[in-house]
Amino acid sequence: MKKTNKAIAALFGLLMIVSCEDRLDVVAENNVASSTIFSTFATINGAVVGVYSKNQSGDLNGNPQLMSDFMSDNVNFVGSFPSLQEVDQFETLATNTTIDNIWLDAYELIGAANNVIVNLPPVDPAEINGLDEATKAVFVAEAKFLRAYTYFQLVNLFAQPYQFSGGTNLGVPIVSQPFEGGEISEFQLERSTVNEVHAFIEQDLLDAIADLPVDNGERAEQASAQGLLSRLYLYRENWAGAADLANQVIAAGNHPLAANYDFYNNAETSSEHLFVVINTPTDGPQDESVPGSDEVYVNFYNASPGGRGDAPFSQDLIDAFNAEPGDRRFDELSVAATDAGGNNTFFTTKYNDVVDNASDGMGVRVTEMYLNRAEANFRAGTSVGATPLADINTLRSRAGLADLTAGNLDLDAISLERRKELCFEGHRRMDLLRNGLNLRPGGGPESAPGADKVIFPIVDDETTNNPNITQNPGTF
Amino acid sequence: MKKKCIWLCMLFLFGMSMAYAQEKTVSGTVTDEGGLPLPGVNIVVKGTSTGTQTDFDGNYAIQASSGDVLVYSYLGQTTVERTVGASDVINVTMQEDAEALEEVVVIGYGNQEEKKIIQNIGIVKEEAIENLQVVSADQLLQGQSAGTQIVNASGVLGSAAVIRVRGVNSINAGSQPLIVIDGVPITDTAGNTLNRGGNTGINPLSYVNPNDIQSLTVLKDAGATSIYGSRGANGVILITTKKGRRNSAAQVTFDVSTQYSQSTDVPDILTADEFRQFKSEVATIQNGGTTVTPESLGLGAIGSGGTDWLGGVQRTGVSQNYNLGVRGGGEKTSFFFGMDYQDTQGFIIGNDQQRAGARINIDSDVQEWLKVGMNLGVTNNRLNRVSVENSINAPFTTAFLQSPVVAAFDDEGNFAQSGSFIPNIFARVALNTDELKTFRVIGNAYTEITPIEGLTWRSEFGIDRLDLEETLRNADFNTPGGSAQVVSVREERYLTNQTINYSDTYGEDHNLSVLLGLNYEETLRSRLNVSATGFLDDVLRNLGAGATATVLNGDRFPTRLFGLFSRVSYDYKGKYLVEGSIRRDGSSRFQPDVRFGYFWSAAAGWVISEEPFVQDIDFIDYLSVRASIGTVGNDRLGTFPSLGLFSIGGFGDYNGESGAVPNQPENADIKWEESETLDIGIKSTFLNGRINFNASYFKKTTSDLLLNQILPPQTGFTSISRNIGEMENKGWEFELSTVNVRSENFEWRTNFNLTTIENKVLRLNEDAATDPQGRRIIDGAIQRAIEGESLNNFYLIRYVGINSQTGDAEWLDANGNITTNPGSGDRVVTGSPLPDFSGGMTNTFKYKDFDLSVLMNYSYGNEIVIDGLRFADGNDAIGGIVNIRRQNLNIWRQPGDNAFLPSPNSSTFNLFNQRSTQQQLDGSYLRIKNITLGYNLPEKALERLGGFITGLRLYATATNLFTIKGDELDGIDPEVTDDIDPLFQGETFFTAPQAKSYSFGARLTF
Repeated sequence: MKKTNKAIAALFGLLMIVSCEDRLDVVAENNVASSTIFSTFATINGAVVGVYSKNQSGDLNGNPQLMSDFMSDNVNFVGSFPSLQEVDQFETLATNTTIDNIWLDAYELIGAANNVIVNLPPVDPAEINGLDEATKAVFVAEAKFLRAYTYFQLVNLFAQPYQFSGGTNLGVPIVSQPFEGGEISEFQLERSTVNEVHAFIEQDLLDAIADLPVDNGERAEQASAQGLLSRLYLYRENWAGAADLANQVIAAGNHPLAANYDFYNNAETSSEHLFVVINTPTDGPQDESVPGSDEVYVNFYNASPGGRGDAPFSQDLIDAFNAEPGDRRFDELSVAATDAGGNNTFFTTKYNDVVDNASDGMGVRVTEMYLNRAEANFRAGTSVGATPLADINTLRSRAGLADLTAGNLDLDAISLERRKELCFEGHRRMDLLRNGLNLRPGGGPESAPGADKVIFPIVDDETTNNPNITQNPGTF
Repeated sequence: MKKKCIWLCMLFLFGMSMAYAQEKTVSGTVTDEGGLPLPGVNIVVKGTSTGTQTDFDGNYAIQASSGDVLVYSYLGQTTVERTVGASDVINVTMQEDAEALEEVVVIGYGNQEEKKIIQNIGIVKEEAIENLQVVSADQLLQGQSAGTQIVNASGVLGSAAVIRVRGVNSINAGSQPLIVIDGVPITDTAGNTLNRGGNTGINPLSYVNPNDIQSLTVLKDAGATSIYGSRGANGVILITTKKGRRNSAAQVTFDVSTQYSQSTDVPDILTADEFRQFKSEVATIQNGGTTVTPESLGLGAIGSGGTDWLGGVQRTGVSQNYNLGVRGGGEKTSFFFGMDYQDTQGFIIGNDQQRAGARINIDSDVQEWLKVGMNLGVTNNRLNRVSVENSINAPFTTAFLQSPVVAAFDDEGNFAQSGSFIPNIFARVALNTDELKTFRVIGNAYTEITPIEGLTWRSEFGIDRLDLEETLRNADFNTPGGSAQVVSVREERYLTNQTINYSDTYGEDHNLSVLLGLNYEETLRSRLNVSATGFLDDVLRNLGAGATATVLNGDRFPTRLFGLFSRVSYDYKGKYLVEGSIRRDGSSRFQPDVRFGYFWSAAAGWVISEEPFVQDIDFIDYLSVRASIGTVGNDRLGTFPSLGLFSIGGFGDYNGESGAVPNQPENADIKWEESETLDIGIKSTFLNGRINFNASYFKKTTSDLLLNQILPPQTGFTSISRNIGEMENKGWEFELSTVNVRSENFEWRTNFNLTTIENKVLRLNEDAATDPQGRRIIDGAIQRAIEGESLNNFYLIRYVGINSQTGDAEWLDANGNITTNPGSGDRVVTGSPLPDFSGGMTNTFKYKDFDLSVLMNYSYGNEIVIDGLRFADGNDAIGGIVNIRRQNLNIWRQPGDNAFLPSPNSSTFNLFNQRSTQQQLDGSYLRIKNITLGYNLPEKALERLGGFITGLRLYATATNLFTIKGDELDGIDPEVTDDIDPLFQGETFFTAPQAKSYSFGARLTF
């Protein structure tokens, strides 16, 4: 009897042990495993969409533009974030959390793009329902565009511009492989020169131009890459290239200049946009505790309540608009309010979705193509596509201003038009630096072109984890 | 077969004794020292199996013969032997057992006689806690047990304490101990609630009513914890709830108390006019002496009013507690029934809690060989949350920061907008909803079968189910258009424990006990996190009323654990003891080839006081030495630490398309951390229990330490978990309890404990960042872990002070030279957040019917970094719009000034409040944690009340009444921490202080 009992108990126990061990296999339900990401059309598309999603980070599209505008003369930063104050005062430290986020987010995006660029091409379209070689090429081209877009941001922020020493100065490290858990030494690269980084960006953009479709909905398309390449050439003083690419976009006619300034918020289908960073209330924050989108830069640009009121117009920019009253770019795109310091001033309305922080980021606009073509033509003494005067007057007439005459068109006039069009969109800093102008009106040596802190230090996270990195001068 | 023979022999002998002795009925009453009848006392005729128990009134009757010895035994009382003589009546008064070493205490998967324990465990018994009036069970452990450190995160209701058993044993895998309530290891996922700063994840110990707790056992060494295998590395806290008592009338305890709470200490900050004067003076000095008025700075004229924000966010919180307990039992069944209701108001506006709980514990002997029982606790909690720190929604952050010149209300008395990003916190708290509702069931049901003498098969089925709903609703005033967020989490764990225990005595002297067990647990956490914006009206509270809804999370996290374990204990005459245990754990978290782990321990002990040569020494009651060695693991690693994963949903989508973003690199080799502990200790009792002294030394080495190896940013990932580190904790634990005075009317007892822990990082990953000396490091903004040194070291620029001649703030550079422009390269090790020693002391006094207990805890030799001082000191933080502490008025104005702030014209004026040792303060303290004065109505008075009431206790309790700390901690609570993360200990950022409370109550027993 007892023996039987014991046997039953033992059997019972044994059964339990066997059944329990089987139950230890549990499947991840909330994530896609890296082993299966390229196994269906939907997940492949998802991996590409994911790169766009990375690009939504306010640290890549939002804060850098904001900082560029307050480091220069467009925004009077009155906010309180110490990390932003440092930047504003040209005292940026390597430990600055805001620039750290830019660096980290940029390489996260680059890693996600590298994953597509490296791992998608070997995938056999025959094995995946819905995938063909052409679509595959578009996916890779999109990733290359976004990678180029991001490297361009990085090199502009963390390296002196091309003008500093003809591009032989240090740029940023060029990573072209995804990290898959292996050796980390391949991700402790030294900085390439600005010329090398520019060449890498150029190649990515040329590849993208070749493979991207003319119309790709709201995702990157051929004109996006052409527009960005035009900007790269402009920054490198390759006037012919800049004018030519700008002209290609304008001449193609797919992106006529918008009739008015309604394209700023949630108008991603506007022809104005060559590439727009779309934020929506439901696109998911990085921080779960913040409802809506987490593009907090929106807060800086808007006054309280809702915004922080940190980034009003600078007096210099107000004066610039006041010098020629009736400019619709001021009248329609600004609002009077009190800033965080209690002063009455003006705020831009280009990013006014304070409820969801879901204002779109201005990536590349067709307006910039007119400005690039005008400047490049003017400097080269050419008139590819149109004369500089015609291009500038096209923009002025949209702004409700009288035409300039050939006599009063000079580089300053072109730059002023560029400033008024692109203010709060992050162009001003590079436009001043590449033209050898001090970032601040009457500014001292700290804000002069070539000064140590008109660019950012290489961030602490990089320097402590990469023995091969070289820090920028002025940071220890 | 042998066994049967013994039984037969005994029966035979018994029969013989019956035949030859003259039997009679002996009766009497058994009472305790106070003369109260003791029900349920076991009485046996020595050497026989004849026995009985006293009834409800302490009366008994037993058949015995003249010359027989009657043995009276009762838990907690010294066993009494009486020889039957001529008289038929034997009345016995039992004495409380001073040693109490014969008590059976709860250990992992079983019980053991206390004097035979060779594991290192801390026991907090009912007597130590029954008169402690606490809100949450973790407070019962505070200062009570050596090696167990409990730091309250803050005085915010619902915030979890940081509990450390023997220090920090892990860096990235979590360092909180496993908490087991009546055999159910409970879940304690920190991320179940929205982050409110300062470790406000749910306090897992808030789900057991402290009044329901009978005892707590802290398992410390590997000998005790290795039976919990992959979850034992951080220690284990076993909570046993009250059981009924057999054969006793139901005893009802009803307790009512009222509590008043306030903040312990807050910094002195400037009033509106002081602020205006300060800003005006600074601007004037910077303006070359030409007066700059406050008006011209936009601060309004002196005398034009302002707001006392800090005063406004505080209040005297009034709380009510009701507690009912019923305990009793019949011959075969006993029960405990508990109920409690707490209506608590915090001392911070907007922070309230209502908790209602009920418990039923029942056990019954169905058959002689079958026992069944159930423990079930249910808690319902509603908490109005406030952010603790480092948030513009945290009352205690915003009240410090908000400029005092900002008006809270407009002329009509309506809330006014602050005009800056620092909101009108009064409006936030008053108009927004921030509510957390939880419902939790923890319980188990068991059967215990004893098929043969000495063999018990216990079968337990347990459940821990947490339902949580957190609702945020921001009013239009605070968030234009309004916003709402609801997080709904369900975390359920089902488990079974099957144990077979066999104990036997071979011959006279060989005692053997064998435990075999199986443990299977299934845990599923599911979460839904939805937000909405765009509401027409503030009264529309619910998500569905918003225009735009977003699903932030909708996910499930399943984990499973399967363990087989065994423990064998053997002793010879209770004198030489050995014990060994082993556990094999399998976890769903890992890849199949690294899924299983083995954990073991071996221990030996020698009870010296059982040796003849010691038994003659009168003053030694008990003396033993023991040693143990073994391994345990730590599996707090997330759900799928080994897979390469892409995040989807809200994180990956773009413009309405689903996307996937890399989230975690593949990590196939990851496995749990293992630590090996050596523990040596002595336990002793002297002078009839008047002195107890325990000491132990331990050394715990964690190998395969999981390190979030920081990846170079170029990888696109921030970190990867790898089992690459090694860390050591070693230290001493001392416990001394003494009865200093014991007389008829007066008694004074002292319990004192002290712990020292020395932490050392033995090995970091090979490719870790290195410092200039080539040592491997893990760097943080405030702390840096350096290989070969303690895990926690503050690593800051050294601040010297204001040069009284130049008015410059001065720091030291890395070489120790004075500098006025230090950089991050000038950081050095400046202190440690880990104390040299810490512990607690309890003094209890009894005078007639009064009792007084004073519980103190202390910490010595640790530094703390009050990171918020970067904002509360200096002129320029947040653009200079924020309020500051009063000492900032002491500006350097002329040579010779001994100033707090540099000259406004100094280049260091705005650098002054950068991160440095200026924010690092001495964190040593001695705190009177709890003082309770009680009065028990004497028996005579109770009789006059009709005798229905058997006890009435009136008491008053004060917590955190008084703290001895350094002068520089004026206004700063040393005992708060803002993070549960081991790498951030001892740091705070405007963390709300703890509460100082006074309560008054009465406990009625009938």
